[in-house]
Amino acid sequence: MLEAGLCRYVLISYGHNELSSDSLFTMLTEFSGDDVVFGHFGATGGYALAARRAMHEYRTGPQTWKHIAVGQRAWANLNPRAVMHGRPMSFDDYLSSQYVVEPLRLPDNCLVNDGGRAVVVTTLERARDLRHPPAVILGLGQHNPSAQAAQSGALAGSTGAKKAGEQALSMAGVTRDDIDACQIYDCFTYTVEVTLQDYGFFGPGEGEDWFSGGTIGPGGRMPVNTSGGQLSEAYYMGLTPLSEAAMQIMGRCGERQLGPATKTKEPNIILVSDNGGILQAHSCCILGRI
Amino acid sequence: MNREKTCAIVGVGYTPQGKVPGRTSLSFHLEACTNAVADAGLSKDDIDGLICYRHFPAASNENDLTPHLVAQHLGIEPNYLSQDAN
Amino acid sequence: MAYEKPLPRINGDNRQFWEGCKNHELKFQKCASCGHVRFPPSLVCPRCLCTDIEWVVSAGAGKVYTYAVYHTAYHDGFREEVPYVVAVVELREGPRLLTNIVGCAPGEVYCEMPVTVVWEDITPDITLPKFAPSG
Repeated sequence: MLEAGLCRYVLISYGHNELSSDSLFTMLTEFSGDDVVFGHFGATGGYALAARRAMHEYRTGPQTWKHIAVGQRAWANLNPRAVMHGRPMSFDDYLSSQYVVEPLRLPDNCLVNDGGRAVVVTTLERARDLRHPPAVILGLGQHNPSAQAAQSGALAGSTGAKKAGEQALSMAGVTRDDIDACQIYDCFTYTVEVTLQDYGFFGPGEGEDWFSGGTIGPGGRMPVNTSGGQLSEAYYMGLTPLSEAAMQIMGRCGERQLGPATKTKEPNIILVSDNGGILQAHSCCILGRI
Repeated sequence: MNREKTCAIVGVGYTPQGKVPGRTSLSFHLEACTNAVADAGLSKDDIDGLICYRHFPAASNENDLTPHLVAQHLGIEPNYLSQDAN
Repeated sequence: MAYEKPLPRINGDNRQFWEGCKNHELKFQKCASCGHVRFPPSLVCPRCLCTDIEWVVSAGAGKVYTYAVYHTAYHDGFREEVPYVVAVVELREGPRLLTNIVGCAPGEVYCEMPVTVVWEDITPDITLPKFAPSG
């Protein structure tokens, strides 16, 4: 629309009183259709099915996911806005927490919170006249496998991230090695693993080794979800990762700012993902500095 | 690529978050939008496109939350309006 | 005591499937053109878009593709059930069904476990196909 000149400035918005209103239960039941007949509700159950299949097909499980939950929590503790700010988490805290739908524990789940988030998008030409350094959209990709969890034969991957990621990198004219940080849609810890895996950062079963040693946290070699993400900052669907990527590119992240402040690479290029349903939809966006 | 035709994010809008009782979903949309427009240094009359994220069922004491409703309350008449399925 | 869990919503697409269940028959649509056996029932074959079908009755044998153990009751009707197992079962004829695994402890379920359909008559009109370990 912007390229075609149909619009000049576009708002993208999300808002939900998910924690304080009574809409969550309706959402869980509507989400699951007739699967509720068998006691299958909402996203946790669906992603638990996916995560369990992955555990069957290759080496993954809580010993992999603990790195994601703990790494993101460390970022949240540098973000005063994060819902989980001031609540550090250790591997033991993670491993001793209760199951919601096994194999997923409470800290494998994204937050349920009240709030909203919005971004404004315009052309680069107009962006130059505005007050912040623009977070330039270098590449986009989308792929929608679409099938419900029970009808998908690919719950352990590859997900829509594979094609969407290839499209986005190709459009941006960059490779995976050029990526300085990732903001990954993290409805569940497993989603982060399978998404990065399908983008090609590591092979199936190599996640535990790739994540261990603080890879994604402050000071890590590939920072992921630097606001704390949906697991530890707040849940605004794709706007949690997208808005954080934009703020990092703009250099407005204070204590958690990528670069020397957090002993990480300067965020010249950030990969952002979004995901819908039970791995049924995927979008990838590459943002960069001008 | 014609870089001048490339697009960019130029403003971000936040709201209070966590447990914020007594607020409708619509009010969070409106606060986030208002803050994003101000953050970009724009006025609401500059906005001519609106994309609302996924349509969730409304709470039992709220109206159905559509992009039309958000546009109405922001006092804008966008050329482009949609709700994303993701 | 009244049945307190959600019931399936019968419509023009799925009526024959649920009527089959009532008669303890697991019935699937088979495409008359390409032979693909599909679930859930629908107007067109997702492989070839042909609309001609015949209904086939499954032998009710399959294996667990994946499963999840619910430790949380999202609905009052399941409060007494936790922990319970939701699974995707792959039938020998090809289709996958979302269902429950019964007749064993949750800790005994595993991916690829052989299972057989068991019928649970929940109302005079509705019977649910669930699965138990084979043999």
